[in-house]
Amino acid sequence: MARRLVVKNKTLMVEGEPNHSLYVIVDGSFRLSKVLEDGRRQVTGFLFRGDFVGVRSTDASAYTAEALEDSSVCFFPHRYLDEIAIDAPGVKDRLIARGQTEYHKAQDHIVLLGKKTAEERVISFIELIGKTIGVDDDGRRTVPLPMPRQDIADYLGLRLETLSRTLAALKQDGRILELARHHVVIEI
Amino acid sequence: MNPLWRKYLDVRAPRYTSYPSALHFDEQATAADYGKRLGEVGLYEPLSLYVHIPFCRQMCWYCGCNMRVENDYGRALRYVRALNNEIGTVGRRLGGAGRPLSVHFGGGTPNFLKVAEIGDILGAIELALGLTDGTRLAIELDPRLIGDGDVERLAALGFNRMSLGVQDFDPGVQAAINRIQSFEMIESAVGDMRRVGVNDVSFDLLYGLPKQTAESFEATLEKTIALSPDRVAVFGYAHLPSQLPRQRLLDETLLPPEETRADLAGLADDMLVAAGYRRVGFDHYAKPDNPLARAELEGRLRRNFQGFTDDLADTTIGFGASAIGFVGGLYAQNAKTLGDYYRCTDRGELATARGLVLSPREVTIGQTIRGLLCRSQADIASLLAALSPTEANAVCARLESLEADGVISWDGDRIALRPEARPLSRVVAMALDPYAPVIKDGAARTLARAL
Repeated sequence: MARRLVVKNKTLMVEGEPNHSLYVIVDGSFRLSKVLEDGRRQVTGFLFRGDFVGVRSTDASAYTAEALEDSSVCFFPHRYLDEIAIDAPGVKDRLIARGQTEYHKAQDHIVLLGKKTAEERVISFIELIGKTIGVDDDGRRTVPLPMPRQDIADYLGLRLETLSRTLAALKQDGRILELARHHVVIEI
Repeated sequence: MNPLWRKYLDVRAPRYTSYPSALHFDEQATAADYGKRLGEVGLYEPLSLYVHIPFCRQMCWYCGCNMRVENDYGRALRYVRALNNEIGTVGRRLGGAGRPLSVHFGGGTPNFLKVAEIGDILGAIELALGLTDGTRLAIELDPRLIGDGDVERLAALGFNRMSLGVQDFDPGVQAAINRIQSFEMIESAVGDMRRVGVNDVSFDLLYGLPKQTAESFEATLEKTIALSPDRVAVFGYAHLPSQLPRQRLLDETLLPPEETRADLAGLADDMLVAAGYRRVGFDHYAKPDNPLARAELEGRLRRNFQGFTDDLADTTIGFGASAIGFVGGLYAQNAKTLGDYYRCTDRGELATARGLVLSPREVTIGQTIRGLLCRSQADIASLLAALSPTEANAVCARLESLEADGVISWDGDRIALRPEARPLSRVVAMALDPYAPVIKDGAARTLARAL
């Protein structure tokens, strides 16, 4: 196991390029994205502390993982994990079972995109992140939003203006207690 | 034009915006089939959306679209509610899957609706299917219905492609087709579009209209070029009064003869190319820096129900009465009448009335025909492999006579359309189409002239 720092905007994995390590996010956050057939970049998920990525060794990654802030990861070469597996079968699965992987992120995404209103989509997104990296204090949960608003809009299938309007409306009706550029506060 | 090609002037051919053409759709394809395929759309599969607005303020006598003249805006609001229902129904079937790449509003007259209603429809699409800032929004506009500030409001909603139904600038021709719109009106609309930064402005022109002459059409083209649209589509008017009763209003005796039609098409081609437009497909022209021209140059041109397009999505979803979708190898067309359409949408059901499931051989034939129309060449070996021996023989015989007439040339297993024979593209497409003879005998009068 080795530790690595990933500076903001640098990539951990690049779509179409080989990746032979399993990563666990120790600190910071990452954006998962892929380029669609039409050339547009689709944000497919976000990774936070404790999440796993690179679950399968591959010659062509299905997406790009890019640091949203200065972050650090631990990585395990798959070859090394496979060697250990000879003596201790299932070690990889048990390791991964401790956190969320890119496959969970795909599940999250389809659930969010299936929500009927913009409010539901945005508040579910905030709650989802809150469960992973929210900080609770006195019945209030501070949810960091390290990604740009445009990434959230693209991820949720909303236009930036709709996202801004929806956040403002949620603030207005009290479902968001505090709204700042890189965090929101909700009731638990 | 090559004298050997005269005989093709009167040939009637499908437009091949789909294969097989909508004439082959039947009721075997159901809403259940369409719903099932919507459920199989991939999570990030690109989607091309079409929204049909069937209303017009006034009837143009040449029109072949599914439209109705409407004076009561309340009925348009009723339609918008139905559209929003349908969009919600489709969204539930997709369950979050699919990413809209483009939305095209066509008609009828999309700007029969006020901008507020158009915004509502976009909002419904955003919630049901997702809409991001990169989604390309296009709308067809009737210049006579563009109110003060409309263009600016549409641009603010995100519309970055606007298309104007110009048809012809000549007042005599305009009177003969019941569509009177001054040059100044179009000029002002284009000016509005440029001011708000719309850099993809398209004109539709029609040749073969009553009273058109080479002189009058030349003047129309000069005015077109002066306004410098980014694209121009030059369509041949399809006079089919037996199918479209409204075309009987038009004075048939004023229609130009076959030869003149060919001259008008040739004139448009000469003048637009001389003005710096690139030919795109057989009836579109675009400035070299326009995405459509670039798609043509890079071999990415495609054909869908809107004609030639740079849209990359294979999957199309149509909303509104008579709109056609193509999902997972199924063409699905909605009910044509408002009554039938409302009956389905009010119950939260899909409004599919007709359609067609493509067989593997139809997929191959369609690819061959689209290759010919979009890239002026076609792989005949793979086409023949998909056909029965009788059909293959018939296709070869038709290609032989086209080759003898200098329309196509052979290059190994492929045919190439000669550049000057581009106006005959649809005739060659029909030669590749095993269904064509059936069309010729059975339903020839329902088709437009190939030229």
